Amino acid sequence: MKIPRRQFIRATGISLALPWLEAFANDRNLKGRSNADKSPPRRMVCICAPLGLHPDNFFPEQSGKNYQLSPYLEILKDYRDQFTVISGLEHAGMSSSFAHQASASFLTGVPGAGRPGFRNNISLDQFAASYIGSKTRYSSLVLAGHGAGGLSWTRTGALIPADDSPSKVFARLFLQGNADEVNEKMRHLEDGRSILDDVREQAKSLSAALGTEDRGKLDEYITSIRELERQMVIDESWAKRPKPKVDIEPPKDIPNPNDLIGRTRLLFDLTHLALKTDSTRLITIMLAGSTAAPPIQGVTLGHHDLSHHGKDPGKLAQLKIVEIETMKTLQGLLSKLSQSREEDKSLLDNTSVFSGSNLGDGSSHSPKNLPVFLAGGGFKHGQHLRFDPQNPLPLCNLYLSMLQGLGIETDQFGTSAGTVPGLSLA
Amino acid sequence: MNASSILSRFTAYCPGCVRWIITITTGILLLECCAIKAEAQLDSVEKLSIKPEAVEKFFERFCHDCHAGTDPEGDFQIEKLSTNFNEKVSRDSWLAVLDQLEAREMPPKRELQPGEDEIRDVVEWIRDRAGQAERTQRKAKGRVVLRRLNRTEYVNTLRDLLEVEVDLTDLMPPDTSTTGFDNNAASQHTSSYLLRSYLDAADKALDAAIANTSEPWILNKVFDIKEEKSVQPTGSVYRHTDDGVAIFASWESANIRVTMWNFRSHVRGKYRFRISGYGYQSDSKPVDFHVTAGTLKEVTEERLIDYFSFPPDRPTVIEFTEQLEPENRIRIIADGLPALPPEVERVGADKYTGPGLVIQWVEIVGPLLESWPPPSHRMIFGDLPLIKIENGSKTHSHEVVSEQPEIDAERIISNFARRAFRRKVTSDDIQPFMSRVRKRLDEGYSFEQAVRVGLKSILVSPRFLFLLEAPQLDDYALASRLSYFLWSSMPDRELLEIAETGRLFDPEVLNQQVDRMLDDPKAQAFTENFTGQWLSLRAIDATAPDRNLYPEYDDILKTSSFKEPMLFFNEALRKDLSLTHFVSSDFTYLNARLARHYGIPGVEGAEMRKVMLPPESHRGGFLTMASILKVTANGTTTSPVLRGAWTLDRILGMPPKPPPPNIDAIEPDIRGATTIRDQLAKHRNVESCARCHREIDPPGFALESFDVIGGWRDHYRSLDDGGRGRYKSGPPVDSSDVLSDGRRFQNIDEYKELLLEDKDQLARSLAIKLITYATGAPPSVVDDAEIESIVRRLQKKNYGFRSLIHEITRSELFQSK
Repeated sequence: MKIPRRQFIRATGISLALPWLEAFANDRNLKGRSNADKSPPRRMVCICAPLGLHPDNFFPEQSGKNYQLSPYLEILKDYRDQFTVISGLEHAGMSSSFAHQASASFLTGVPGAGRPGFRNNISLDQFAASYIGSKTRYSSLVLAGHGAGGLSWTRTGALIPADDSPSKVFARLFLQGNADEVNEKMRHLEDGRSILDDVREQAKSLSAALGTEDRGKLDEYITSIRELERQMVIDESWAKRPKPKVDIEPPKDIPNPNDLIGRTRLLFDLTHLALKTDSTRLITIMLAGSTAAPPIQGVTLGHHDLSHHGKDPGKLAQLKIVEIETMKTLQGLLSKLSQSREEDKSLLDNTSVFSGSNLGDGSSHSPKNLPVFLAGGGFKHGQHLRFDPQNPLPLCNLYLSMLQGLGIETDQFGTSAGTVPGLSLA
Repeated sequence: MNASSILSRFTAYCPGCVRWIITITTGILLLECCAIKAEAQLDSVEKLSIKPEAVEKFFERFCHDCHAGTDPEGDFQIEKLSTNFNEKVSRDSWLAVLDQLEAREMPPKRELQPGEDEIRDVVEWIRDRAGQAERTQRKAKGRVVLRRLNRTEYVNTLRDLLEVEVDLTDLMPPDTSTTGFDNNAASQHTSSYLLRSYLDAADKALDAAIANTSEPWILNKVFDIKEEKSVQPTGSVYRHTDDGVAIFASWESANIRVTMWNFRSHVRGKYRFRISGYGYQSDSKPVDFHVTAGTLKEVTEERLIDYFSFPPDRPTVIEFTEQLEPENRIRIIADGLPALPPEVERVGADKYTGPGLVIQWVEIVGPLLESWPPPSHRMIFGDLPLIKIENGSKTHSHEVVSEQPEIDAERIISNFARRAFRRKVTSDDIQPFMSRVRKRLDEGYSFEQAVRVGLKSILVSPRFLFLLEAPQLDDYALASRLSYFLWSSMPDRELLEIAETGRLFDPEVLNQQVDRMLDDPKAQAFTENFTGQWLSLRAIDATAPDRNLYPEYDDILKTSSFKEPMLFFNEALRKDLSLTHFVSSDFTYLNARLARHYGIPGVEGAEMRKVMLPPESHRGGFLTMASILKVTANGTTTSPVLRGAWTLDRILGMPPKPPPPNIDAIEPDIRGATTIRDQLAKHRNVESCARCHREIDPPGFALESFDVIGGWRDHYRSLDDGGRGRYKSGPPVDSSDVLSDGRRFQNIDEYKELLLEDKDQLARSLAIKLITYATGAPPSVVDDAEIESIVRRLQKKNYGFRSLIHEITRSELFQSK
């Protein structure tokens, strides 16, 4: 859809005048940001390995500072002082019958994922976005290795569809449209907002005649409209500002859904770029797991099949190959983040990189003793914090610690009961 | 599988679910713990034989010991049960109590037991109170909460509303569901992301519907396959014969395929393809092939159109029509040819005497246009002129103009809104849209751009997105219920016209409309969406069979086995066959590949057709179809627990209780030589496990005769340590077992006979699933009586499946909100 430019200006000039001025003003502010706000921004990346990480290869045997690196952590040995590994964490109310569904609760902590009547709530990243999301072009990025199922949920318990195409996300973040395209986008947003304005009024008038529960559904619709309208105002102010330039070839999507390592690597590269350019400060990533064999030397079975190894040594060996490759991609991410400098610190120092799984043990579907890893983010690291799996600490305690690490003043998230003892900011 | 999430892929079937064999703690009441304070004394209900005081006493005597205090069993406290049945939370808690009492699970056997009379009285009391409360509330606000179009319904509705084929699925977030069907009203939530998707999808659909270019030229050409560079004869497996190209190998990974680079779709639209060829040197046997389409630039840019076959020696033409995006091509790939390329190359393609596939020519016509502008455009704008604009672009060179913009816009918006809202609209209803259009016209938008804003606005308005229903449905709401049930889409013109005359509740008219809708091709949406979820067919790609264990599994087998249950379902629907056919039947749908898989002789070619089954086939009915057996297994092993639970839930309608939370799973161990039966036996000897597993395991054992891809097996297949190399024959399969009531069976055939002994239960089960799907909410205990009456009437109709659909559409449950 396209209209002649001349006509467009005549049509929208007046109504757009104000936001443009605002945008201009914001732009100036943005340039002077480092003066106004000395400290570099804090960020958070949350990663979920949906099929777990084999606990014997992940958890170190000793706790404390002088633990011996486990086979998986060995890969991250260069960053030993910049991460903490935590055992004995779990979300309450998960069952092994719905261990895969529990990924829905991975960042929300809502008990009972998968059970009839389950209703989700806001995820960690979106909670944080409600505080710091408006400071960047994108309040958050929701990524996945394959498909639209990700880790992020709205306050109303709706799934936020994940992006699994690095090339499309890259285009959104960095590719500047030409003037016509920008104008087209502005007009689009303007139309969108006025449409939303109209239908919100209709919903309100319909709502009056409805029963309580029906009205609840329509209220959700009305709330969503308000949220989108707010978002579009922010979008408009950003649409006129140039996107950051990155000196890098746009990524090419990997069509093979079973190439989970290749896909993860692309997502991690994108994560680094998005954070470095301050395009967003909050990213969630649901890693892929393959149903057929991933293209890795020595692997003949699908990742999912391998995760149900049933202690078969052949399968365990292959599983280890796959998971070591996954750990190497994580190593790559940490490496990039630590090499990017921000004033006297590294980007990693300013970014909490949290990685874990909804499965404590993929083979038995246990949702207990989740493999949890936290790097960077300004915490004091270099230790294995061990909690008793029989008397587990809520994973939401860690989330609360991470929120506080982002500078968000809150004392509660999900099922948290305080923060993680022994984990403190440097 | 579109936009599959990790979630749906892995949740579908996972061998870890063998964990149902865990020790189940006794005494769990699966109750929501509601924080409502105990309310006033129980009211007296005169017509009941039991006095409220007696109910109170009952709980005091039999439940209070465990379910009270600070640490009650199963987190359930008697004192917290509110007798305010009008509160849904409290009603649900009571219904859970009812479940426990009826199933005689509570009080536990080791505790003091109430008399049967006492239980019956209390059960009756709960049922009565819950029923009354629910009926009162339904009168005021209906049973089903406000329902939104789900992704499939939204996409189909835009297709029918705009009369345009456009794929919007990728733009929309997937639906989440916790009841087995993704149109469940209660689990639908709206987010700003969803609304943004609606705006984007509306744009894409309107762009596809509205013509903004001059009339495209029509390709009409016969392509000679010999001219295709992909099948040049030198040093390969292709022989150029007098009348075409013979292909001698089926090996996709070696690029043995006919890619028609000489063809390219120049605009999006429907194209008709005719392909001529025959089986060559094929020993009087047909030769199979399949055709794919897409940009073919990447593996993901290629989709299967279908499998076909050519008869031996006799040139034959197959024909199909396909919707293509611009820049698409097609590819033809021979299937099932025995030779690998090196074998052909060794003797030379010209001297090779083995079987091959000859493709002669491909005729392509398209885009197939009914008119210009296309019907989708005229549906919106009527005959308003489409003219070339200044400064246009290649994809936007024309626009609709109007001499009297406001009048035309009002007519367009009003017509569109009536169809989009699926009911009559007043001028008040369209005012908000019209004032926006007028405003845009005043601001200098062109006529078409202004109208587009109005149309788009309609497509995100609540009247379009939600199915607005009064507690007592009116004709329009009934029309929408019918169309979303049977078509997963909006009512068509005829249905809306009947609704407008107020005759849709007339049983005869309703009957006739249901028949008409079931006979319409759009009813395929019912088949696909209902069976896709009821029978888990959407999970067909959730696992990939272990290539070492199941080397024979291929795409044609998957594709054929996926079609089988739907064709079978359609036949039952068409012929009003007894729903007992779903359990056991003397026919099914097969092609050569599937027949070979089932060991049934005499079926040739790729086309699926109705085949009478030989008596010893062990097939017939859904349970023994390859696709069902695949989705109830993982790629490596089968689990009687999983298949058993599936059978109880889907076929018998008696789902086993989910295992309680926070219980450790047993870890599956596939190293030993033990069979799953041995592993399970241990747990069935523990009484607390056995209570459920007595019910769950038997159907699963009956199905043990079928492997993970649905092939018959007398022995398990096993692999040497390390999972490499070819499989060997493992321990023998034992498919016999005993039902919890003592009835024995030796194998699947006998188990099916036992299933057929209670036809009413099969009907009840399916009726409940259908009502859940048709209305967007599962029926509750309150509806038992109505479901029973549906079952009773169905008995008299020989349990006909089509009759069941009619019964449901006539039911009070369907006809009220």
